[in-house]
Amino acid sequence: MKIEILARPAASVAKLTLSENETITCEVGAMIAMTPGLDVETTSGKKGGGGGMLKGLKRMFAGENFFLNHFTATEPDQTLLLGPTMLGDITRHKLTGGTLIVQGSSWLASDAGIEIDATWQGLGKALFSGESMFWVKCSGAGNVLLSSFGAIYTVDVTEDYVVDTGHIVAFEDTLQFKIAKAGASLIGSFLGGEGLVCRFSGQGKLYCQSHNPPSFGAMLGPKLKAR
Amino acid sequence: MSNLDFEFSQQPDFSLLTVRLQPGQQIFAEPSAMAAMETTIAMRAGLKGGWKKALGRMLGGESLVMNTFTAGDVPGEVMFAPGPPGDMMNYRLKSNSLYLQRGAFLAHAPGVELSGKWGGAKGFFSGQGLVLLKATGSGEIFFNSYGAILEIDVTDEYIVDTGYIVAFEDTLNYKVTALKGLRPAKTIKNFLFGGEGLVCRFSGQGKVWVQTRYVVPLLSWVFPFRPTKKSD
Repeated sequence: MKIEILARPAASVAKLTLSENETITCEVGAMIAMTPGLDVETTSGKKGGGGGMLKGLKRMFAGENFFLNHFTATEPDQTLLLGPTMLGDITRHKLTGGTLIVQGSSWLASDAGIEIDATWQGLGKALFSGESMFWVKCSGAGNVLLSSFGAIYTVDVTEDYVVDTGHIVAFEDTLQFKIAKAGASLIGSFLGGEGLVCRFSGQGKLYCQSHNPPSFGAMLGPKLKAR
Repeated sequence: MSNLDFEFSQQPDFSLLTVRLQPGQQIFAEPSAMAAMETTIAMRAGLKGGWKKALGRMLGGESLVMNTFTAGDVPGEVMFAPGPPGDMMNYRLKSNSLYLQRGAFLAHAPGVELSGKWGGAKGFFSGQGLVLLKATGSGEIFFNSYGAILEIDVTDEYIVDTGYIVAFEDTLNYKVTALKGLRPAKTIKNFLFGGEGLVCRFSGQGKVWVQTRYVVPLLSWVFPFRPTKKSD
């Protein structure tokens, strides 16, 4: 599969070229355009029905779209354009057997070699910071496409590193993490607008985004009519 | 048809169009598109082409009113910027037609005519269906997008989510249809904001321009951040 990222960095899209029988799984609604030789399937989990209803339901409660789109080329040389909702960049992470934990709305697509599990609850405590987030666990060997709100930057964590939960895109699970308060006191942390942060330790790759989607939503929301 | 002197800047994310008008030269633009201009330029708002044509434009998602910018005795500059952050394109009509998606029109030179075209009841009621503007005549037309614009040379068949179409040449045939197997994102929110995961199937030969972002998913995303009504 050939992967090109176009229109970087603010309005990035992924252009994928699939050989016959290759499959890509993406977030529903990510398809922008495609050639006609692609078969589309929507499932609640793995292609071919694996994962099933229960996993799908769990995923829904985790906040993710209940469904996944799978595009399979039925002819050689098929192209597919995928894009996220927010303005920002796209980056490709190649997995060779490890595990990558992806912030739910940053997971754009992954190829057939990647097992995705959105029921991972390791960072469930992030909910307490008022940011309803879910996380997707990607494992196996293949490509994962990550999208960010704003620019994306990589940090090679070798010691301790602190990131606001809203700025995390993805991280390798060789990193340990702890939800912590940003300041010395809990009240001070909230007054400072930082709420809870993620404190990483160990060694591994961490992807961060320059902008924080929940902050943007909190800025826009009050200007809109009450629902 | 005189040549229009224009330039794009800040592409593709925050595109801006600057037009240098010669004395007496005109350009027509969507209301509120003008960002800045020299005082030698006269702006006139009006129902260009009479109310019937204006109504057609309104059906195509554009405003009834079209602003006319005319340079006086000396050359002058006028700058246009669209509402959303994104890209811009120009297309030179040579006695052919170009279809523009609802809201994509920015400005046009004299010699170009706009009329509304409606892609059929199905498209219309789905909210994200094809409500198109048809540009005909000869001259430069400018259109804009949310996100970047990608140009696709269709030689056989191509499928585009209806929300991402910016413009296409009339040499292409198009059909709005549901894509088998494709379930739309966020069903409940789609119900509120319209959109059924419809795609446009292009066939034939010609160019189609697609945008890399679409405002409706952003609206769906913002939706949960709205305040809740107090029950009293």
